[in-house]
Amino acid sequence: MRSIVASTKLKSLEHCAAEVADGDTVFVGGFGHAVPFALGHQLIRAGRRDLTICRSGADILADQLIAAGCVARVVFGWIGNPDIGLSHAFRRAVADESIDWEEWTNWSMVLRLQAAALGVPFLPGRVLLAGDTPVQLPDLKTVTCPYTGETLAAVPALQPDVAIVHAQRADEEGNVQMWGVVGDTAVGALAARRIVVSVEEIVDGEVIRASPNLTIIPAHRVAAVAVVPWGAHPSYVQGYYTRDDDHFRRYGDVSRTAEGTLAHLDRWVRGVDRERYLSMIDTGTLVDEATR
Amino acid sequence: MIDDTALMAIAAARRLRDGEACFVGIGVPSLAALIARHTHAPGMSLIYESGAYGADPAVLPMSTGSPSVATGAACLGDCTLVFGELQAGRIDVGVLSAAQVDRRGNLNSTVIGNYRTPKVRMVGSGGAHDIASLVGRLVIVMPHDPRRFTERVDFVTAPGLGEDGRRPVGTRGAGPVDLLTPRAWFTFETGEMTLAGLQPGMGAVAAVEGFSWKVPHAEDVVELAPPTGEELAVLRRWHGKVETT
Repeated sequence: MRSIVASTKLKSLEHCAAEVADGDTVFVGGFGHAVPFALGHQLIRAGRRDLTICRSGADILADQLIAAGCVARVVFGWIGNPDIGLSHAFRRAVADESIDWEEWTNWSMVLRLQAAALGVPFLPGRVLLAGDTPVQLPDLKTVTCPYTGETLAAVPALQPDVAIVHAQRADEEGNVQMWGVVGDTAVGALAARRIVVSVEEIVDGEVIRASPNLTIIPAHRVAAVAVVPWGAHPSYVQGYYTRDDDHFRRYGDVSRTAEGTLAHLDRWVRGVDRERYLSMIDTGTLVDEATR
Repeated sequence: MIDDTALMAIAAARRLRDGEACFVGIGVPSLAALIARHTHAPGMSLIYESGAYGADPAVLPMSTGSPSVATGAACLGDCTLVFGELQAGRIDVGVLSAAQVDRRGNLNSTVIGNYRTPKVRMVGSGGAHDIASLVGRLVIVMPHDPRRFTERVDFVTAPGLGEDGRRPVGTRGAGPVDLLTPRAWFTFETGEMTLAGLQPGMGAVAAVEGFSWKVPHAEDVVELAPPTGEELAVLRRWHGKVETT
C-alpha cells in the first residue's frame, strides 16, 4: 500500500538550484561522501554570483565554483583536493585578490553550524585558543565559563541562507535519508534557513517510515527535492557507487592552470546535461566496486 | 628497497600502543596506524574526523570520508561524535603530517609566506589544529626535506610547544612527543626537537642534513631496529611499492 503523500516536494534539478539566489550564503553538504556535485554544477550553469560558500572540508566542487566565478567568499576549515593537492582555483583567487575568505578548523566549523542548528548565538569550544588561526579571526571572542571560570572560545553560530545536500533517497514529501559517512551534513543542513536536496532515488513513504532513524532531515525543513542519479559523482554514495578517485586525480592535474580548469568546466559542466554527463563516466566499474 | 614511506610509517607505528584511541590523518599517518593495529596493537581504534571510530580501511583512503573509512568501521557516527570525544580528552594519540614543522613541533599546512599575500596558499587546518590542541599526545611524520623543517613555521596551524618549550595556554595534552622521518626519530621532552634515534645505517649528520638550525642530541641516540618481516608484510597490504631487500 502506498502511503499518503501530503504534498510533493519533487522538483527538477534546475528548480532546486534556483532556490539558491545570488549573494546567498550556501552550506555545501557531503563530507567526502555524497558531495552535491550535480546541484553545484547547476549553480555554475545558472551563473550564480557572489555566493559565500561554507564547508568544513571543501573539495574540488568548491574549487570549481570558485573557478566558475560563482563565489565571493569562502568560509572553511580545509580547502583542497584530498590526498592530491591544493585547491588551485582558490590559490589563484587569493593571489589575485579576487576572493575573500574566513578560515576556521573542521571542529570549529562543526560547532558554528551546530550553534545555528540549536538556535544559540555561540557554542563554547576548547579550540582556537592557540596558534595563528585565531589571530586571523579578529572578531572571534572568548567566554569565561560561569561555573568553572575556564576560558573557552565563543565559537559563533553560522546560519547559511540555504544548504545544498545530496543523499541516498527521499520520499515525495521530502523526508531525506542518508547513511554511510554523514560527517557534518545533517548539522549543516539543519543550520540553514532553506534546504534543497538531490537524491539517488525517490522511495515510497512506507520505506522511509520503516527505518526512520536513517532520516537526517525531516520533510518539514526541506524546500525541494530532485531525483538525480549519480548526483554526487565523482564523490560516491554508500550502497550505490564508489568514489571515482581517478577523476579527482585528473582534476588535480588540469586544475593547475586556469585554462585547464575552464576546459574541464566546459567539458563536464557548461552545456552538459545529465544524460551527456552520465555517458562520460564509467558507471559500470564504479557500481561494481561499490558492491564488491 | 624499503622506501622512505615504509621507514617513516613503521617507525611511527611503533610509537602507538595497543588499546589506544588514535585520531589519524590521511596518507602516512593512516598507514602508520594501520601497521600498528595489524601488528602489535590489535586493540587500537583508528578514528577519522568524518565520524569513523574503529575504522579498518581495506585500502588506504584518499579522503577521511572515503568508502574504505566507512566500510569495515566499528562505529560510524558524525563529526560531533569523534571531535566530541577528542574535545572531552578521551583520545590518547594523534598522528599527523604537514607541509612544515618547526623546532617546537608546530605544524603549518596553511600558508608559505605572509598570510594575506602568501607565496603558497595551502589547504588549511582541517582537523589538524583541533587534534594538535586536544589529543593526549601527538606523533608527527615528515619526509626528510629540509624545506619542511624550519626553526619557526610561517604559520602555526596546529600548535605544538611555545617559544618557552611549554604547551601554550588553551591547549590540552602533551602536544608533540615523537617525530619520525625516513632518517631519524626526534623527541620533544626538553621542549624542543631533539635527535633521539637513527634509522638503520643512518648517521647523525645525515639525520638533520640541510636543517637551518642546530638540532640538539639526546644523551643516548639509539639506532632503530630495522623493519621486521611482519611489519613489511602488513605494510604491503596498503603500500604496494615496497620490496624487501
